[in-house]
Amino acid sequence: MDITEKELEHLASLSNLSLSETEKTGLKKDLKNIISYISQLDELDVENVPPTYQVFEMENVWRDDEIKPMETSREDLLALTVESFDNQIKVPKVL
Amino acid sequence: MTEKTEYEITIGIETHVQLKTKTKLFSEVDNDARGKEPNSCVSPIDYALPGMLPRLNGEAVKIAVRAGTAMNCKINPRSRFDRKHYFYPDSPKGYQITQFYSPIIGAGFITLPSGKKVRIEHAHLEGDAGKLSHFDDYSLVDLNRVDTPLIEIVSMPDIKSAAEARDYCKELWRIMTYADVTEGDLYNGNMRFDVNISLAPKGSKTLGTRAEIKNLNSFRSIERAVEYEYSRQKKLLDAGEKVIQETRGWSDATGKTTSQRSKEEAQDYRYMPEPDLPPLNLSEDFVKTEAKKCPALPADYREQFKTSVPAETLEVILDYPELARRLAEVESAASSGNAVEYTANLFASVLLAEENQSLLNDNLPSAAQLKELSEMKSKNELSSTAAKEVFLKLFETKHVNKSARELAKELNLIQENDSAALEKIVDKVLENPATKSAQADFKAGKEKVLGFLVGQVMKESRGKANPSAVQEILRKKLA
Repeated sequence: MDITEKELEHLASLSNLSLSETEKTGLKKDLKNIISYISQLDELDVENVPPTYQVFEMENVWRDDEIKPMETSREDLLALTVESFDNQIKVPKVL
Repeated sequence: MTEKTEYEITIGIETHVQLKTKTKLFSEVDNDARGKEPNSCVSPIDYALPGMLPRLNGEAVKIAVRAGTAMNCKINPRSRFDRKHYFYPDSPKGYQITQFYSPIIGAGFITLPSGKKVRIEHAHLEGDAGKLSHFDDYSLVDLNRVDTPLIEIVSMPDIKSAAEARDYCKELWRIMTYADVTEGDLYNGNMRFDVNISLAPKGSKTLGTRAEIKNLNSFRSIERAVEYEYSRQKKLLDAGEKVIQETRGWSDATGKTTSQRSKEEAQDYRYMPEPDLPPLNLSEDFVKTEAKKCPALPADYREQFKTSVPAETLEVILDYPELARRLAEVESAASSGNAVEYTANLFASVLLAEENQSLLNDNLPSAAQLKELSEMKSKNELSSTAAKEVFLKLFETKHVNKSARELAKELNLIQENDSAALEKIVDKVLENPATKSAQADFKAGKEKVLGFLVGQVMKESRGKANPSAVQEILRKKLA
């Protein structure tokens, strides 16, 4: 199955990526390979198999509503951002 | 153009309700960021650092069951979480954890004060997004609000006017506040409403194209936005143009909605099951236990006070759960219905008068105090003015442990009703030569001077005589 230019652009915009022409050519080929590899699953008849959402048979896993002291400070976290200002994360203008 | 088309408006509302939990939906940090520094309530989980795993807050599950019960909804024992992907700086994960396929709360309905039922399609648990502030050439991100627990309540398109949209939102706010689901502070965004509006020719079987007005947070703006949107869409349709399916924003200042983004390119959220959170499978016992914790709701109080309190008065009181609850306590403490109606009037016209509203932060008088106060009033031991004075004083901390009678005595406000005692005072006034000409005038038919004579008796009694009893005695004596 070929990946169209439009599909690739849609994927890129969902991921907020801008791609060069060379990258596009390479990605189209890679995506095609990945999808045809995964598509082998389509050959299986799963008509009567319930969907698997979870591979562990766990249910109702929850915790108490108690505040725990934070192990990481605001400074630690903000230090991971590209840019911060006034204790907030600074990003290019978005609307 | 020949005849003007008449249109029917159809409204469906999605409501985001922030839950009153101590911690966030998926991490153990403080969920109450009011008045706190930006990014001071953020854990590595909220920050979406690699390898961080969400841990579900059990309290949010319990609150969701209570919220569903309050809306007469079916609680789905089995529910799951899904990832809704989008790329925006308010979400460090790059997706929101929500319940797309199997929500915890199923179909139900709420009843508006008018008696109209609005059906609830479903409601689901999800995490809130961070907050952005926009500046000239950059934006700032505060993640304190990331993964604050929310339930999103989706109504059926049963709402048919701007006023009904307002009533629905207000009643939902009341229900969520009574059920202790949320702090209900609209100004701080505890409840936010997305209103979907479409117009179709009257009698049409298909709905028109809808516009969605996002993020309304006051009842007044909901009503105004729907009114504006009705006339905007009507104008377009009358001119033969099309309504575009889009998200619009409302401005209180301009009184208009404006286009925010067109949904022409369909959103592609790529929902997938959240692999890090095991599904819920709630036992019948669990659901029952939590449902039982749902306290009396506005509709219950409407039923309870149907005959004792005028609807208009009650609706004013119902904005304040603590007042409705106190009124119910007065009813179970009092022997007569008068105490309930009298207390309701004190709440609605004295306490909630603008100049007294700050008292809402003080001690609300107890049911016993209110009951005694209304009994003293109905026995004429207190004049209306005196009763109001005692009522307002009961809010003061220093009077908390006094009975209404003790306080009234202390304030020297109890009226003299004993007719023998009153007659003595009246006689004394009538013997006073200064009142003789007034007495003659009254006997000659001048009704007006009775007021003067009553005033003299009141003065003589130092304000403690019951004026209507005095009037009666005077009439008898001067007949």
